[in-house]
Amino acid sequence: MSDTANTIAGAGFAAAPARPQRARRTGRRLHVNLTGLVLPLAILVLWEASASFRWVDPVFLPAPQKVAAAFWKMLTAQNLAQDFLASITIVGQAFLYGSVAAILLGIAAGLSRRVEAFFGPTFDTIRHIPGIAWLPLIVLWLGIGAPAKVLVIAKSVFFPVFLNTLQGIRNVDRNHIELAQALTLTRWQLVRRVVLPSALPSILVSLRYAAGLAWALVVVAEGLSGLEGLGFLIFRAQGLLLTDQLMVCMVVIGLVGFAIDRGMALVQRRLLRWKQGFEG
Amino acid sequence: MPAGRLDIRDVSKSYPQEGRPPLTVLSHIDIDVAPGSFVSLVGPSGCGKSTLLRLILGLDADHDGEILVDGTPISGPALSRGIVFQDHRLLPWLTLERNIGLSLENAGWSAAEKAETVRDLIALVGLRGFERAFPHQLSGGMAQRAAIARGLAARPEILLLDEPLGALDALTRLRLQSELQRIWRTERVTMILVTHDVDEAIFLSDAVVVMGARPGRVVERVTIDLGTERDRAGSDFAAHKRRILRAMGAEFGNRHAA
Repeated sequence: MSDTANTIAGAGFAAAPARPQRARRTGRRLHVNLTGLVLPLAILVLWEASASFRWVDPVFLPAPQKVAAAFWKMLTAQNLAQDFLASITIVGQAFLYGSVAAILLGIAAGLSRRVEAFFGPTFDTIRHIPGIAWLPLIVLWLGIGAPAKVLVIAKSVFFPVFLNTLQGIRNVDRNHIELAQALTLTRWQLVRRVVLPSALPSILVSLRYAAGLAWALVVVAEGLSGLEGLGFLIFRAQGLLLTDQLMVCMVVIGLVGFAIDRGMALVQRRLLRWKQGFEG
Repeated sequence: MPAGRLDIRDVSKSYPQEGRPPLTVLSHIDIDVAPGSFVSLVGPSGCGKSTLLRLILGLDADHDGEILVDGTPISGPALSRGIVFQDHRLLPWLTLERNIGLSLENAGWSAAEKAETVRDLIALVGLRGFERAFPHQLSGGMAQRAAIARGLAARPEILLLDEPLGALDALTRLRLQSELQRIWRTERVTMILVTHDVDEAIFLSDAVVVMGARPGRVVERVTIDLGTERDRAGSDFAAHKRRILRAMGAEFGNRHAA
């Protein structure tokens, strides 16, 4: 009888080959990364070609090396870092406030139908007024500085996270709730051990989405009001026909957005190690 | 007197139906289970055996009659009654040891006692080395062993098993039946098993309660006196199987006649 135990325990179908599988996966991830570089390189080549062969007037499309030089100049002589810092601070604050509020209220609404009924109609109306439509009014109240932008972006972060938290909680497996009852877990233990972990994947998806959204919105908000930040620079560069500076800002915005998304994906992967997903 | 006695006295359960008379799923069930014994409930689908298990677990107090554990009527779930479901129902975000430990959240033990119990149980069900594995890394049989360990963690007097081996392949099922028998003998806990598998019931039980459907009721109680080494191919085994199948079959015969 005990040797049947050994056979089954020793078989370890899934756990034993886990290691080589993981190694293979990292190998493939590297491969995917290289594949992902092909298209950017192609675009760079095309860009360089259109500048060298004068397919496009350099006023409208400066050569890559001119953009690189502009980047260096902005960094060393024009406080690009400070503008970048201004933008990222707004996004960081807005993301923090918006998502913390959203997760807390989302949990409250997810756990109580009454809370959901209380906030539901109001939220569903506010949600449909875009953040940018709020900006003019908020700027009248709070001025053209950072607080107005933080508020507006926090609002845009809030809703996707709130809705996904609520939905994630509502989708908790009934069987798991029954298990918690059978194990005599208290309501708080149920929330902590069962409800929140099972809502976590859906919360993390919305956080990742909201982080990207916040970064995109700060550019718009700074373009519409204020005197600093990447969004301000980009619109100023357009006005002064400094296409090279404009493109520096675009590239920086794109790369930072990429880094934010990858960072969030890393957090997601780290926190959801227990989840086995489709890997293509 | 050892603990783990279960008395089910005249238990009936019905669900209200709109515009129709209530649907009776359990009708006047009387079952006594001696402390430390192994009793199986067998019967066709819809005979209410899983419903009865839910009532014993304390998940549903809306029934007639009494359910007594060691002479005291139950009120809600308690750690003195453990459960193993058909689906292993391990929480996917907890490692194996933390899944088992979940049973001990409200046991009131020290952290050291909890850790030791979890370690012992992992050894008991033969999963040493998989303490930190997540459920998706376990095979079906391993997950079900973990579920059995979780059911036993709080040292219950009664372990309820709701078709725990029903979803496993035939070979794994046979192995786990032997495992279950060994665990039952080691732990001396009262076990109540709901199953479709008559062989499994005879192999494991002191007594098999045959239930009939519509409404769910006890048709026959068969005592299994085959000793500790049970030969599934033996003639005594076959005789018990014939008797139980006849009790289940007669049930169908009656229904066709009616």
